[in-house]
Amino acid sequence: MSDATTSPSAHAPFGPLVLVSGKGGVGKTSIAAGIAEAAARRDGQAMLIEFGDGESGRRVLGRGTKVIHRVVDPKEAMEKAVAHLLGSTLLAKFFLGNFAVRPMLRAAPAIRELAMLECVRLFADEVPGKRVVVDMPATGHGLTWLRLPVQMRDMFASGPIHDLAARIVDRLIAPERTSVVVVTLPERLVVMETVELCRALESEVKLPVSRLVVNRFPAVLSPDAWDQTRALIARGGPEGEAAKELLRVIDARKTAREETLSVLGDLDIGRSFRASLPGKQQGRALTPLLLPESLEDLTAVDVAKWLESQGAA
Amino acid sequence: MSAARSSGPVHLPTTIVCAGGGGVGKTTTSAALALALARQGHTVLVVTVDPARRLAHAMGVEIDERVQPAHVEPEVEGKLFALMPEPRRSTPTFAEILFEKRPDDLARVMKNPVYLTMADAAASMHEIVSLILIARAVEQQRFDYLVIDTAPSRNALDFVSYPGRLAVLFEGRAVTWLGGLARRVNEGENVKDPGIFAGAQARAEALFARILNPRLLHDLAQLFADLALVKDRFAELARTSEALLLGKDARYVLVAAPTGSAQADVVYLHKRLVKLGQTPVAVILNRSDETLAPWVDVLRKASGGWPALGVALEQVDLEAKARKRAGDRLAAGITKYIADATQVRTPTIEASDPAVIVKRLATALVPHLKTLVGRK
Repeated sequence: MSDATTSPSAHAPFGPLVLVSGKGGVGKTSIAAGIAEAAARRDGQAMLIEFGDGESGRRVLGRGTKVIHRVVDPKEAMEKAVAHLLGSTLLAKFFLGNFAVRPMLRAAPAIRELAMLECVRLFADEVPGKRVVVDMPATGHGLTWLRLPVQMRDMFASGPIHDLAARIVDRLIAPERTSVVVVTLPERLVVMETVELCRALESEVKLPVSRLVVNRFPAVLSPDAWDQTRALIARGGPEGEAAKELLRVIDARKTAREETLSVLGDLDIGRSFRASLPGKQQGRALTPLLLPESLEDLTAVDVAKWLESQGAA
Repeated sequence: MSAARSSGPVHLPTTIVCAGGGGVGKTTTSAALALALARQGHTVLVVTVDPARRLAHAMGVEIDERVQPAHVEPEVEGKLFALMPEPRRSTPTFAEILFEKRPDDLARVMKNPVYLTMADAAASMHEIVSLILIARAVEQQRFDYLVIDTAPSRNALDFVSYPGRLAVLFEGRAVTWLGGLARRVNEGENVKDPGIFAGAQARAEALFARILNPRLLHDLAQLFADLALVKDRFAELARTSEALLLGKDARYVLVAAPTGSAQADVVYLHKRLVKLGQTPVAVILNRSDETLAPWVDVLRKASGGWPALGVALEQVDLEAKARKRAGDRLAAGITKYIADATQVRTPTIEASDPAVIVKRLATALVPHLKTLVGRK
């Protein structure tokens, strides 16, 4: 990574904590696992933190990885965080089992989300000095999750929840140690939403986006094929009809590429914000990373190698 | 569960819930299924909990909390409707619906910091709002079918239990107790350490006071007092959506594609649905081409002397074969875990206009409609 910073086109180095965000189904897990895998290959160890049941992270990482995989389970998270807060697992169990507390917590989930972030913090503390990558939940593009600790810290002016939220803000949402990676897909409106997300992350959460990954970027289907296909259509007949089908495929991919690049082309996310940061992160424009569409699912090692080849690991 | 208001005028449509992991084409599939039903003359409402703007535009609807007529093709005009609520407006929408006829109370709730923070930050808030919007929509307009596209997550099924959970919260003693506790805190009564001989309730109160502070308890109490004003309306909407989701006319369709953890997601969701007494009627396997598109062969024969065309066709052919293999693998993998579920395979449809994809997918789903929406 250190030599990557010497190249002018290279991406800014990651902080110790990397949050991977984006809407559902864009391939966040593969990218998150790839970043962790690349760090583990370099540093001997890294951690991937996932929400849910851990199934997708396990699958992408595969066997024999040096990445430590941690899973934030929504049910356990609450008990863990409350136990930490009250200093006793027994008290936590009693409190959470209360007839009034239980339905309220089940119905008002903001607290549960804070508890899950607290679990991320506790996991991250297990590997001091190593890269920790968090595969963020897709809800609200992950933005609501990152806004939450600041909101909770300010709403609870004092007391243990205030302290808890403040700890999470310091540890997880600090621009000097946290890098945000946003993953998107090559569709004009999806990319436009992503640009909005990047701006919101910088203005509302004060976290600059350090990588923007466009997943499943389609390959060009032979550059001259378009003209020849048009020529066949002009001839008509069954071949002409068949050629229309091919043209639809060619056009779909061409449109996806062109629209994505045009939306991102005049993108200058956060240069002004970055200018206020110390040292290396200053004044860098965000170059989107285009991950080519692949016929097979990518493993963490595939993504790690690709990131390394892009100077973005 | 019987319909919430069997004596009332509400007609409950047949509900089809599409569930599955992210990136499997669930939103497109839901729209296509709704379109296929509308083509048969039914009045259909399609609801997307996690709306894609691209699809909304293609269907001629805006992303907001109104039920709107969709404009996809002339023959379904007036038959197909869409509801695609904006996730970022969930907080005001929730309050606006519940306090529809109480502008003063609405204004107070919208200023309550506890409400704003909790509602804004709660990931499930949007799903709850979507359910309330659905319940209101079926109260106001008669639909034959309701197609719901869930959020792209394994936890998406949690939303099935939200109406019940919230109704329990509002109908139970928790709200009263919280209101009382907060009032005592405001009046300066001692809720500190009640000692080891104190009752469970007093000890819970003491723990509450340790975690919250007076100012916050005040806001919380005010919020619960305000919500208590509309709890009947809320319970009514919650019961309607529960009847839609878990009633005898609910059907669950799982959606998968040969990508990522889609297979594992489907197996997991199937297990959960069986537990809920809602065994899925079918699994749709998207992008799982069974045969090579016939146009590829036609073009191949014609491509002599067109080298670039030949190269493009080779690529398309290679991809189609890879997709067929992946589709076969997915089908076999799902059969291994869910032997009795009907599988519906759909081909990959590439087009720059999402409306074209929806229309073609609808056509591909027509032969399977009986399986997908017929009697359980």
